[in-house]
Amino acid sequence: MLGYILRRTLYTVPIALGVTILCFALVYLGPSDPLSAILPEDAPKELIDRIKKEYGLDKPLPIQYLIWLGKALTGDLGTSIATRRHVIDEIPPALFNSLLLAVLASMLAFTVGSILGGIAGYFHGRPIDRAVTALAVTGVSVPHYWLSIVLVIIFSVEWDILPSMGMGPDGSTNFSLTAENLRHLILPTVALSVIPLAIVARTVRESVRETMNQEFVQALWAKGLTGRAILVHVAKNAAPTVLAVMGLQLGYLLGGSILIETVFAWPGTGLLLNNSIFSRDIPMLQGVILVLALFFVGLNLLVDILQAALDPRIQR
Amino acid sequence: MTETTIGSAILPRAPVVADKPPGYWLTVVRRLRRDPVTLFCMAVLLLIVLAAMFAPLVAPHDPYKTSMLKRLSPIGTPGYLLGTDELGRDLLTRLIYGGRISLFMSFTPVVLAFLIGGTLGMIAGFVGGWVNMVIMRTTDVFYAFPSILLAIAISGAMGAGLTNGLISLTLIFIPPLTRIAESVTTQVRSLPFVEAARASGASTAAIIRVHVLSNVVGPVLVYASSLLSVAIVVASGLSFLGLGVSPPEADWGLMLNTLRQSIYVAPWNAALPGAVIFVTCMCFNLLSDGLRQALDIQR
Amino acid sequence: MTTSGTKGRGVRGVLGGGLVAAAAALALGGPAVAQEKVLRVGMTAADIPYAAGQPDQGFEGFRFMGYMLYDPLVLWDLSSAEKPAGLKPGLAESWSVDPADKTRWTFKLRQGVKYHDGGEFTADDVVWNFEVARDTKAKHYDPKQAAQIATRIPDLKEIRKVDKYTIEIITHTPTAYVPYEVSFWFMPSKAHYEKVGSWDAFAKQPVGTGPWKLQRVVPRERAEMTGNKEYWDKGRVPKVDRVILLPIPEASARTAALLSRQVDWIEAPSPDTVPRLKQAGMQIITNGYPHNWAIAPSRAPGSPWNDIRVRKAANLCVDREGINKLLGGLSLPAKGHMPPGDTWFGKPTFELAYKPDEARKLMAEAGFSATKKQTVKIAISTSGSGQMQPLPMFEAIQANLNECFFNVTAEVMEWNALTAFARNPANHPDIVKAGVDSVIISRAIQDPFSAFDRFFLPNRIPPGGSNWGMVDDPEYNALIQKASQTFELGAQNAVLGELHAALVNKAEWIWITHDVNPRALARNVKGFVQAKSWFQDLTSVTKD
Repeated sequence: MLGYILRRTLYTVPIALGVTILCFALVYLGPSDPLSAILPEDAPKELIDRIKKEYGLDKPLPIQYLIWLGKALTGDLGTSIATRRHVIDEIPPALFNSLLLAVLASMLAFTVGSILGGIAGYFHGRPIDRAVTALAVTGVSVPHYWLSIVLVIIFSVEWDILPSMGMGPDGSTNFSLTAENLRHLILPTVALSVIPLAIVARTVRESVRETMNQEFVQALWAKGLTGRAILVHVAKNAAPTVLAVMGLQLGYLLGGSILIETVFAWPGTGLLLNNSIFSRDIPMLQGVILVLALFFVGLNLLVDILQAALDPRIQR
Repeated sequence: MTETTIGSAILPRAPVVADKPPGYWLTVVRRLRRDPVTLFCMAVLLLIVLAAMFAPLVAPHDPYKTSMLKRLSPIGTPGYLLGTDELGRDLLTRLIYGGRISLFMSFTPVVLAFLIGGTLGMIAGFVGGWVNMVIMRTTDVFYAFPSILLAIAISGAMGAGLTNGLISLTLIFIPPLTRIAESVTTQVRSLPFVEAARASGASTAAIIRVHVLSNVVGPVLVYASSLLSVAIVVASGLSFLGLGVSPPEADWGLMLNTLRQSIYVAPWNAALPGAVIFVTCMCFNLLSDGLRQALDIQR
Repeated sequence: MTTSGTKGRGVRGVLGGGLVAAAAALALGGPAVAQEKVLRVGMTAADIPYAAGQPDQGFEGFRFMGYMLYDPLVLWDLSSAEKPAGLKPGLAESWSVDPADKTRWTFKLRQGVKYHDGGEFTADDVVWNFEVARDTKAKHYDPKQAAQIATRIPDLKEIRKVDKYTIEIITHTPTAYVPYEVSFWFMPSKAHYEKVGSWDAFAKQPVGTGPWKLQRVVPRERAEMTGNKEYWDKGRVPKVDRVILLPIPEASARTAALLSRQVDWIEAPSPDTVPRLKQAGMQIITNGYPHNWAIAPSRAPGSPWNDIRVRKAANLCVDREGINKLLGGLSLPAKGHMPPGDTWFGKPTFELAYKPDEARKLMAEAGFSATKKQTVKIAISTSGSGQMQPLPMFEAIQANLNECFFNVTAEVMEWNALTAFARNPANHPDIVKAGVDSVIISRAIQDPFSAFDRFFLPNRIPPGGSNWGMVDDPEYNALIQKASQTFELGAQNAVLGELHAALVNKAEWIWITHDVNPRALARNVKGFVQAKSWFQDLTSVTKD
């Protein structure tokens, strides 16, 4: 097991390095001048050159990369061009806000998805199974940004019972689970949970169905041993797959929440990313993508290791 | 089991390469004919595609003709079946025309990624060694990003626009298709009859043409088709963020974006473009499921 | 002052957080402060404007950060909703130019003005702040502030301290606009910078002389200010206890926030939502102000706009009332470069009216017809500060002009790309290649330099100016020169009126409309006077 963990971790290093190169490179894809965001439109050329130099944008790219990587390794992701604030200071609170949503949505998805999937698998082929399957297809097909808008239309515009934007009266600072803040959490969490919910439901359904068809369970069944014993067995069998799916989903929720955060004006990494794109704030864009990607790489690693721990066959 | 949705992993597993029994295609057609859901989805998609293709013939109005007086007419207004948008343009017409760019933005990247990823994957699988190493490890790096994040990052860095959107979407679909092509090619390469062909001195080109292509293209193509549903949602998502085509062009994602500003005036008009994206995506998903079952491809 | 640094959960963060929590507990729990009046404002910016000295985020940053935390030497008089906002003394009590050497100005500073930390404002602060903007070798030089202020005080060459309360400003060439230029230049505290040691630290707890004190900034989320009870102008001591600024860039989100009582005040509600807001009992407040939304044509050789008949025809072919309707009545149809009734409006003879027949006649004279149309291509952004509803408005104009023998197409780009695009003059190869012969960039035209000089002087052709269309007209040049050399304000205004009349008579631009700066306020917000200005004064506002 230890060997596997070591091997798997070592394998992550070149990927992480590749991620840094990609993050650095993609920022230079842009045609427009990274400084256009801060300079007045009628700035003279001398001023532009001077500011370029001050921000270190006049050096060759590989040198810029090495400097950037060296700093990134020590936790310095540079200073936001637009705001002059340190990028590394901006990301943790935003990441916390996004994680809050992602974790809540995952929990919701896991609970509801498991129950629905379990029922569907248990009653395989019956109408309820078909209903759950249809629901799952719907869930994976619905564009979550559209669902967010529909939720806002229904609950905020038409009925006016839930707030449609922001994190609550005090924003993310001093955030606590008060009733008022919880009301702000409902719509984005629900919108975000739909896709993983559908996927978990499908996964659990498949897994339950397979397990139920196993000879061992059939035997238990024949013996009249229903209920708990079967449930435990089924859960044991389904756990590694569901865990893997859920772990990955958490990562996707974090990465994919940009659209939902935009709709709900939720101050997370997605909104940060969106803002940095439209203000062409290069260091911020680099920083957010890098942190999210590395988070995702780490999550993958963790899921693999956990999965291997639960199911030693995976260690190959 | 792996899903192919916007938020989920695009993690293909290699289909099992098997010889097809005689009468295979006949069986496929028979299976399809007994599957009303798939047939229905096919019909809906065909309708959407045809409407988009022949938009000038079927659309009731001019997609660019604005009218200050008819702004945000509700759904069901006489002459404007689905109402009008924030500039008084007919929504039904805009949706029909919007399908052109939205569908183009979904199909093209998948086709391009199929060609590029398929080729890369076959090269990696067939040549092996360090070539495989370079291609597959690069692919791994792209896997380190949730796909939609990668698309937004690339598009965002390059700036808004149709071409940039196409490039970023193509880039996110290349890695999964490369991976699946590589995996199938590796399997095919070690099959007895390929080994035999090699031993008997057949040229590499011939082996690729006769054995590899015929066995690899099918599974990769089926997988690529399942990416269409992801493509439509991600492509529209990019437009929704303002990273796709520019107004006054019509595009479902962009329409959703601009109409969203009017949800306090005409809420249900604002929901329409998203509903079309949803229906299209759902049909792609169901069709892809149906096809896979009919073709009896294990995933 | 409590600051919540976002820097991790370090000792300072914990301390700061603790203080904030304590303050919050006091504010929420203590009966003594239960009636604290808090005004929550939803801004259009995506982020809190830069808080150290010269703000970013355009004039919204000036409005909600600059003029709230700081004062310039010369202030804008924002007390009236009727007359155009003019200049009034700020940190300087009086100023005058040396009659013998008109590059030498003397500014007498106000005595006894206290910074938020209790320190006194003196001549040293002014000299030091000039180094912040200009002296690249100084430790306190700040490239960010320098970039923001560079185009605001271009004529200032040197600043000398005469005594503790007197400074001398030396300009490169004689210009009467110095008071306008320094009205955009804020004076953060030198002593406080020296205490905290960096502009990053300064931005977290800025110290100015303004009517509001910054309590804390949560990037992208909120900024909180409390009233400065010791403000030097007793008539402008804030009436509410606290202002909270929230950046809400999306118009629909701002509307939602106001309707759900998460804010008391929103900037720029979208016209479509106005009926709904009114129905919910909100006040919609508008007023004209020096804003200009126009098509600036290229006058480079070969441009279709070099024919005055074409320019006049375009001006006569736009249905400005129709566009006003599109904007829900929230605009002021243009009669010229300046809004109607402006100090500098003058008496132009060419009237900007909707006369398509006359327009077609002019176009026919210029050699065009329904079959031989004049092709023009306009660069426009999808959104942006002050751009109002650019695409709907463009489409309305396009439909209008196409009726008058024009064939209008657009080069649509995002806002930053458009401003970058306009950083090259109209004859730049890229622009010629794109086939663009006109741009739509909304403009602040608050002072003579920003209203006229930068658009119509040949030495303001980019880079280093906004004369994108490369206008070079001897009449304008002479009048602009004359205005900048007329040091008596009334006479200066008269010259500018003459200039404005000349511009309109030659249909130099195709003027469309002026924004009316709509904002929506909750019913219980009282006492706000919306000045005819880009800047506004929140000190008179109360809340029931």
